Amino acid sequence: MASLYNVSKGRKGGGLASREARSSNLAGWGFLAPFLAIYAALLVYPIFQAISMGFYDLDLLVISDRTWIGFDNYVRMFWGTEMAWTLENMADWRIAGLFLLIPIGLAIKSKKLGFVEGLVLAVLVVSIFGVAMGFAPSADGRWFDSQFWLSFGNTVLFVLLSTPLIVGFGLLLALALNRPGKWTGVLRTLFFAPFVLSVSVLTLIWAFMLNPQLGLVGTLFESLGLEPISWLTSPIWAMPAVVIATLWWTVGFNIVLFLAGLQDIDKSLYEAAEIDGAGRWGRFRFITIPGLSRTTLLVTVLQVIASFQIFGQVYIMTRGGPNGATRVSIQHIYESGFRDLELGYASAMSVFLFLVMVFFSVVQFRMVRSRD
Amino acid sequence: MSSLEIQSNSRRIRPKQLRSIIFLSFLSFAAAVWMIPLIWMFSLSLSSNEALKSDTTSILPVDLTFENLLGVLEGGQTGQWLFNSVVVTGLTTLGTLLFAAMAGFAFARIPFAGKKVVYPLVLAGLMVPREAMFVPLFLMFAEAELHNTYEALILPRVALPLGVFIMTQFMAAIPSEIEEAARVDGASRWGVFWRIMLPMSAPALTALGIFTYILTWNDFLWPLVSATQREMFTITTGLASLQGNFAQATELGSLMARGVFASLPLIVLFLIFQKHLVRGISLGSGNK
Repeated sequence: MASLYNVSKGRKGGGLASREARSSNLAGWGFLAPFLAIYAALLVYPIFQAISMGFYDLDLLVISDRTWIGFDNYVRMFWGTEMAWTLENMADWRIAGLFLLIPIGLAIKSKKLGFVEGLVLAVLVVSIFGVAMGFAPSADGRWFDSQFWLSFGNTVLFVLLSTPLIVGFGLLLALALNRPGKWTGVLRTLFFAPFVLSVSVLTLIWAFMLNPQLGLVGTLFESLGLEPISWLTSPIWAMPAVVIATLWWTVGFNIVLFLAGLQDIDKSLYEAAEIDGAGRWGRFRFITIPGLSRTTLLVTVLQVIASFQIFGQVYIMTRGGPNGATRVSIQHIYESGFRDLELGYASAMSVFLFLVMVFFSVVQFRMVRSRD
Repeated sequence: MSSLEIQSNSRRIRPKQLRSIIFLSFLSFAAAVWMIPLIWMFSLSLSSNEALKSDTTSILPVDLTFENLLGVLEGGQTGQWLFNSVVVTGLTTLGTLLFAAMAGFAFARIPFAGKKVVYPLVLAGLMVPREAMFVPLFLMFAEAELHNTYEALILPRVALPLGVFIMTQFMAAIPSEIEEAARVDGASRWGVFWRIMLPMSAPALTALGIFTYILTWNDFLWPLVSATQREMFTITTGLASLQGNFAQATELGSLMARGVFASLPLIVLFLIFQKHLVRGISLGSGNK
């Protein structure tokens, strides 16, 4: 890759060389121009635009008329009336969150993480779980926008439910499918196929699959002597239903990545271990598992990034219901912007979600570059 | 070991083989279960709406008919939506490939001033989540009065930093002798790019292309926000607009037939280009 950075050779030379350098510059920027123009205008600029819009009261119907309101949109998102800090607020989640300090500490100790980076992470964890989550409206107060926290909480819940399940299933199926042969190839194709469906086909199939009267899942429950669940209208079962549909839809993607990771493990390690008398389990435990650690981290990070952006499945299947049980962040942003016409507020929320996701994107980015 | 090898010629099934057969049967059963929802959609689309009023839980078509599938092409806007999807997805894929290849060629093959600065800036774009910035993007296209046009559906998707990254890496690995020989023969830079580098990058282009095609065809949020007039819907947003309304359940067969039309092009492409897609996913996620 270092060769990419070779600066034009002709700089020091005479007229001919410098003419060639000029022509190289022209050609380089020329070939880059179409991509760069669209990249700057439609990918980079909107980020700054969103940050700026977040400070305005901006109505979709009268775009030209905007009022600067400073941090009001952010206050509305994060704050409420009669706010108080207590040790007990969301205690379970906060204690669970603080346990993240253990892996961070271990990672610093084993030098997988730089000291400064680890410290920043630790401070972040303490300030989120130790401090920030202690704030809540007291008995006679309320959140300015309770829907914001409700939908963000649901998004996090979806991430926490779906990530281990989809990554775990992907790993198990990849291990099972990692053998030569035509028939295994066919099976791989079958498991992967749902991934190419669009989200509205997914919801079309699963809304009816899970329908207690019309669907196959209900029939299965009845034949087992169980009462069919009306998944999508139950506050408890609606989110698991979305997770199940998403698992079916996307597990193939993770299978592909894990299979690629398995292919990368040096075969000679297995042979050497076999000669040393290692059994099936020993080879799995001491070669396969460590060999897959990079892939597992990558798949997990990709899964988290994808899960934070969940929208289509819930929007089409449940509209966020019942009673907000499956309402997610993107839906709240979408409806604030395009139903309630408050583009400024929607932008501020986009910035927040963006910052949450950027953390995971940075991890992925560094992994991509490390292969570079 | 040697005794096992001798045995392998005998007809008796050895324990290892037996275990393998049991394992594969179990896995095949799981794959069959995995396919049931998809098969169900196909068989509902082949069943008459009348028959579906009494029974929707058969995995095989009840009262086989092609009426639903033919009906999709005759009435309604599904045909228009499919056409929109084909146009938008096709042009987005072509644009993405061309611009990514050109940028990759510049980064991998042309020494120009400023490269050291621009390349990391382009790679930083890998960190921008796809769905995050639809609100400011909406405002920009609203101010340009471009909503409900193909341009609005295509332009935000054609600058793919991931594509540039993949093409740069691929082109940097092509031996430079071929390029130099062509230049000695008097080929222009564009000639080198178009007649030599592009054809030699076919494997990367195919993988990136099929990956982009599937992602774009299945794009939901941006078309939902930008194309609000029914005749500008893509098949993905159009199909979504038909759901959620349980009155549609009386026409379940027709609804499922629309689902079949929305997925068939992708399933066919997937079966043809499967290997490339798998490669595209590995490349695209930074796994390889």
